Amino acid sequence: MRVFALALVLVVAATMVIGIAGLPPHGDPDGPVHTHVGARYLEQGVAETGLRNLVTAVLLVYRGFDTFLEVVVIFTALVAVLALPSATRQPPQSRDESAAASRRDTDDAVPVSPVVFLVVRLLAPFIAVFALASLYRGHVTPGGGFQSAAIIGAMMIALGLVFGREHAARLVPHGAKAWLQALGPLVFAVVALVGWRLTGAFLGFPADEAAHALREALVVILEVAIAVGGAVILAQLFMALDAPS
Amino acid sequence: MTTLGPTLLPWLVALPLAGAALVPIVARRDARWAGGFTLVVALVTTSLASVLVAQLASQGPFSADLGGWAAPYGIELHFDRFAAWTMPLAALFAFVIPFSWRYLDAPLPRERWAPFYALMLLNLGGLLGFSVTGDLFNLFVTMEVVSLSSYALVAVAGRGVAAWAALKYLLLGAVSSLLVLFAVGLLFALTGSLNLADVSVRLAAAEPSGAALLALASLAVAFLVKAALFPLHVWLPDAHAIAPSPVSAVLSGLVVKVGIVGLLRVLQLAAGTGISLEPLNTVLMVLGATAIVMGAFLAIFQDDIKLMLAYSTISNIGYIVLGIGLASPFALIGAFVHVFNHGLIKVTLFLAAGAIIHQTGYRTLSDLRGVARRMPQTAAAMAIGAVSIVGLPPTAGFVCKWYIALGAFEADQGGYGFALVFGALFIFVYYVRMLDAFFFRSPVRPEVADAVEAPWSMRAPVLVLAAACLVLGVLGGIPIGFVEPAVVDLLAALGR
Repeated sequence: MRVFALALVLVVAATMVIGIAGLPPHGDPDGPVHTHVGARYLEQGVAETGLRNLVTAVLLVYRGFDTFLEVVVIFTALVAVLALPSATRQPPQSRDESAAASRRDTDDAVPVSPVVFLVVRLLAPFIAVFALASLYRGHVTPGGGFQSAAIIGAMMIALGLVFGREHAARLVPHGAKAWLQALGPLVFAVVALVGWRLTGAFLGFPADEAAHALREALVVILEVAIAVGGAVILAQLFMALDAPS
Repeated sequence: MTTLGPTLLPWLVALPLAGAALVPIVARRDARWAGGFTLVVALVTTSLASVLVAQLASQGPFSADLGGWAAPYGIELHFDRFAAWTMPLAALFAFVIPFSWRYLDAPLPRERWAPFYALMLLNLGGLLGFSVTGDLFNLFVTMEVVSLSSYALVAVAGRGVAAWAALKYLLLGAVSSLLVLFAVGLLFALTGSLNLADVSVRLAAAEPSGAALLALASLAVAFLVKAALFPLHVWLPDAHAIAPSPVSAVLSGLVVKVGIVGLLRVLQLAAGTGISLEPLNTVLMVLGATAIVMGAFLAIFQDDIKLMLAYSTISNIGYIVLGIGLASPFALIGAFVHVFNHGLIKVTLFLAAGAIIHQTGYRTLSDLRGVARRMPQTAAAMAIGAVSIVGLPPTAGFVCKWYIALGAFEADQGGYGFALVFGALFIFVYYVRMLDAFFFRSPVRPEVADAVEAPWSMRAPVLVLAAACLVLGVLGGIPIGFVEPAVVDLLAALGR
């Protein structure tokens, strides 16, 4: 059986390698990848979308619907985890229980080294500023909503590791949590609606020069929603992990 | 009216997805609101779908260019007759959701209701997106929305076995998804485009290459895993049997059809490229016929009614795939009509089984003897579903299987026609076993002897769906007339 499986893997892998070898040479300027749709993005992307970062132009303007669905996939990951049995740790009911819970956390866990504690505390504000910068300049320079979401989310998880989850959970206001985690899909739907009213096309962005500011605003709103929504989802995924028992 | 279709088409996908994001917000004060809100979203989506189908019926297929970018530069959604015939599948959600309201009381604590309903709406939005998209990468992303929500839905109601079933489903599903992504990469490298129609045209213009063949083969295999065609079905029985019944209904009736619709898109992609589909068709015929017989054969040995229904799905997928492989007009029409008809019948059966399990607490034939005495309406619905799935007239299942059988003789493949009839006999055997246990045996369990009919929110969907199985049998000509032009076009493009 094992021999059979190994043989099957080798045959499939060989077929794939032979197939890939038949592709147009990588990096060939005359290859279809560089002469068809991609060429049009490069030639007219800046003029058509008004965005100097062509990655953002493809991501949000030319193929915004894909990005909408990507944001939905991230949201799906969160509700999937929240729907599973292991995610239903009963939240502490009262202050006493909460205190007991955090005591238990600290009792069970290996104490955090003062070096780690200090470094995380020290770096957190800088990490947050870096995330904001990458977000703010994202439609012009490399960076953007997804990157920013990953950075903020990682910062919140790092804080959760050193301060305990109960403290880190306070970074996301409880009342706003349901809204924040849904921010990506919801804002995409709203921008799609606005674009539909303005241009007649779902997720359309106004193209004329006069609407430059509006277009830029819509792009930034999308980026912020992706960043905040993504960060909150990442942090919640971490919070939903079972406490080691 | 002319622009209504293209304008509304993107919202068909966006609405359930945005609705899913709103479910946890709506449910903040009271978890019970999640179910009601989800039903409203499902109903609005269904109405939207029916407007689109009406527009297609009057004016023919139409497309929407998202963001206003003409294909192939932007993403195109395309509403053809194949996509339109999957729209009634969305309507089935409107029956599954109210059924879930009371059903969830037992298996799910309240704080997990909102994520559950959100996953259901995500699944619906992903399915609709997959059906209507005309873009390769978009096809992949919508498939991921469907798959990810399905994996989680399998595992919601239990630890242990459910988690293992979901993990097995996830691992095989991930291999299938990776194959799709691999194929998308190959096709993009070959053509520089992601639009399905554009890729097809550009493949036809380019020299035939092994890479194109590899891409189409990868797509076909990936979609056959998603469709659970024997012997790629190993993930299905456990996943579909262990999930809560409303989820089983959605997975077995609807989600496996992603593979079938995907397979049809592969055929459309290959049409005109000069790549011979003969080898693929032969494989589809052989595996389809094997799946019919093996699925039915394995079902006979099941005592658990949900496991039995899961194996029945494997054999019904066999019918559809056999019909596609035969590639004759009758067979293809029968196969595609069965995409919805099987969905309807299987949702009826799983919901009826769910009602019985919910009321009695038992799920095996030996425990459920005599259940028809105390739950006559549900048992009658189950019987109608069983007769439909066997394919006896005048039910929804008869039409499709009759057409596929006719198609086998039309394509001069009479042997497959006999395989089909032989499989139907096997299927008949295990449903007769079930009906015998329900109707003609005395109860052995006190819970069954004292059972009462399920509450109306569960009973009504089951009864309406069972009635629909009969109606669709009597009016079987309507769907056949509806998909026929699309089948004729596809076969013409394939040079048949």
